[in-house]
Amino acid sequence: MIIQPSFFTRWVSLSPRILISLLLVPVAAGLLGLILPAFGWLPALGENTINLRGFAAFFHTPGWTNMLGLSFFTSFISTLFAVILSILILGNYFNSRLLGHIQRILGPILVIPHAAAAIAIGFLIAPSGLIMRLFSPWLSGAELPPDVLLPNDPYGLSIILGLTLKELPFILLMALAAMQQNEIKQLINRQYKMALSLGYYPFTAFCKAVLPSLYPFMRLPIYAILAYSSASIEIPLILGPNSPPTLAVAVMQWFNDVDLSLRIKASAGALIQIALTLSVLLTWRLLEQCVKRFGFSTFTNGRRQYGDLCWKILTHTTTFLVLFFIVLALLGLVLWSFAGFWPFPNAYPDQLVSLHWNSALQQLPQTITNTVLVGITATAIALFFTLFALEAEQQHQTQLGSAASLMVYLPLLVPNVAFLFGIVWVKELLGVKAVFSAVVLGHLLFVMPYMFLSLAISYRKLDLRYAKVAASLGCSPFKVFYAVKLPQLLPPMLFSCALGLAVSFGQYLPTLLLGGGRINTLTTEAVAIASGASRRLSAVYVIIQILLPVVGFILAWLIPKLIFRPRQ
Amino acid sequence: MDNTSKLLRIENLQIYKGDTLLLSIEASVAAGEILTVMGPSGSGKSTLLSWLSGMLDPAFRASGKLLVGAQDITQTPSHLRRTALLFQDPLLFNHLSVSGNIEFGMQQGKSSSKKQRVLDALACVGLSGMEARAPKTLSGGQQARVALLRVLLNEPSVILLDEPFSKLDSQLRQATRELVFAQIRQRGLAAILVTHDQSDADAAGGRVINLSTTGADKQC
Repeated sequence: MIIQPSFFTRWVSLSPRILISLLLVPVAAGLLGLILPAFGWLPALGENTINLRGFAAFFHTPGWTNMLGLSFFTSFISTLFAVILSILILGNYFNSRLLGHIQRILGPILVIPHAAAAIAIGFLIAPSGLIMRLFSPWLSGAELPPDVLLPNDPYGLSIILGLTLKELPFILLMALAAMQQNEIKQLINRQYKMALSLGYYPFTAFCKAVLPSLYPFMRLPIYAILAYSSASIEIPLILGPNSPPTLAVAVMQWFNDVDLSLRIKASAGALIQIALTLSVLLTWRLLEQCVKRFGFSTFTNGRRQYGDLCWKILTHTTTFLVLFFIVLALLGLVLWSFAGFWPFPNAYPDQLVSLHWNSALQQLPQTITNTVLVGITATAIALFFTLFALEAEQQHQTQLGSAASLMVYLPLLVPNVAFLFGIVWVKELLGVKAVFSAVVLGHLLFVMPYMFLSLAISYRKLDLRYAKVAASLGCSPFKVFYAVKLPQLLPPMLFSCALGLAVSFGQYLPTLLLGGGRINTLTTEAVAIASGASRRLSAVYVIIQILLPVVGFILAWLIPKLIFRPRQ
Repeated sequence: MDNTSKLLRIENLQIYKGDTLLLSIEASVAAGEILTVMGPSGSGKSTLLSWLSGMLDPAFRASGKLLVGAQDITQTPSHLRRTALLFQDPLLFNHLSVSGNIEFGMQQGKSSSKKQRVLDALACVGLSGMEARAPKTLSGGQQARVALLRVLLNEPSVILLDEPFSKLDSQLRQATRELVFAQIRQRGLAAILVTHDQSDADAAGGRVINLSTTGADKQC
């Protein structure tokens, strides 16, 4: 296409570079601001020699092996569980309507912020939580809450539970999204039918004929989840042990310590965190290779079934348990938020009161305003750049190269404890005082990749003939963009905005660090009161945390219906 | 030939989509015979194959019986029917070699004897020495032959052909067709071929059911 240069087209061709710089510069600066202090260079504290003091201090920390082990195994095992569960669900419900129902139930779980999910799960499994109450005293015989350390158990089992429940919907939905692309859908459907007609039992047919074609599409989401969970903060902070905690949580605590000299150790720890995340990824890669090498002969050994019935029953049971768990967690939140006096082992409160809601709603208006303002600003900026970057792709008829795509997702792959603290350090170094814009920038790093990811699919699927017809009728590129393309893109744009808002609402670490404690959002408040205070008040916070993004998605669904309502 | 000696019998089949009758068929196929079902797209050819293989979409409703030999398999799950499907795409697995793809179709057995049978079968269809190749490196006609071997060495009693030649050019088409039909006759399988190409029907040489006349069991 020949495009005449105008302000619009020049701006459009610049925007991919701006978008990538907006993501790359902070991450790069953040990493730099981490490496220097990690090797002992921290002029603000009068430290300007290069040495390994930070690493030495790290390796003298009592229990540092436990920290590493906890981070490594909780992320690896939870991802493994989530992947196995996804395969069981996909395989046993392949081509069944149940899969659609499961997708609709699990979809909304995805937008629940990690902090909220962690708090809800913590309530559920606590000794005085809803599960124990349901089975007491008639089954467990307990008249008092049992004396076990749950959540926060030293083995990280609660963390594994929390991560698995949060990762399962993500992997499942990413796999389903791949399976619903026309080409792949046809291929795997036919391969499945072919295998069935050759006598393979359904689940075995799925594993031997469909999974090898499907797994490549699940690989990146799995890597993203491994990277995320090995360095996540919220879930280990709320559900994990305290002494020692996971590496990421420990690093955060050192950074936030009043003793500023701990920053050198923290920076070294953050670099070790990056190495740990890489080693988790490498171990997964190794596991893939092993499965490939030792599992390969099973493809051609002619066996038609491997206890397919057992797997089916196992899948029914675990799917039911997962759904039961989620429903119970949500129910528990609602009950706690209205509970008056609620002695153990009653499964239902003695009285329901609106006291906690009243007091929370009195405290919260400022917090909710902050949350929404930061969210809307970050989402608007991200939408602006994402749209122009995608328009640039279309005008130049090229897709973002793989290197550029990788940069868009960089903030999601690099452990965020690692670069966020570096950003804070650089910010202090430059003497930047702005709080609100720093928080928005921090959120942008996570909002933009998700919005780009979701909007790119629709933008690249646009039927370009409309644009060509409009151009042939004399419309300028700008007019084609806003009068032809944008109206066609309204529903996916709104969906992507709702996603952006949900991502922003859920951010904990960027808000905490870049806001310097001066901007509180629902998530930071919820985490702050989760550890102590009142379980009832926490429940109210978590419910509002869940409802806020849901409102966004409802609006995204409703607005196109109102605008495009057929006129009578 | 009386009906009892037929290998495959379709009795009183009626398939409905919602409340409208899509097709209605009564047919039987002897061992080594190839029954051709013709019709334009939308006439229900693929739906018929889905029913035969036990994979009818829940949007359709069917009444009637399907018998293989004396056995009623109308309610038997797909994987226990021994009715193998051959699609127009070869659908070979890229993660397996040519011989791996064929072994995928074979029953469980001793690995060494399986390997030998694969080699013999490959030689039969002019693909000697191709066993270790990746399917992607084969030509379209070669891939079609490998897909055929995968189905044949599965030793099904019935073979269902879903326009298996439509993606091949005319020269290749004729050769592949002859090979497939010869193998079916030689192995005494009952075959149902779905196609919209008259030359396929002529080459099959068996009876032809034309679906465009909605359900009439017309003989040619």
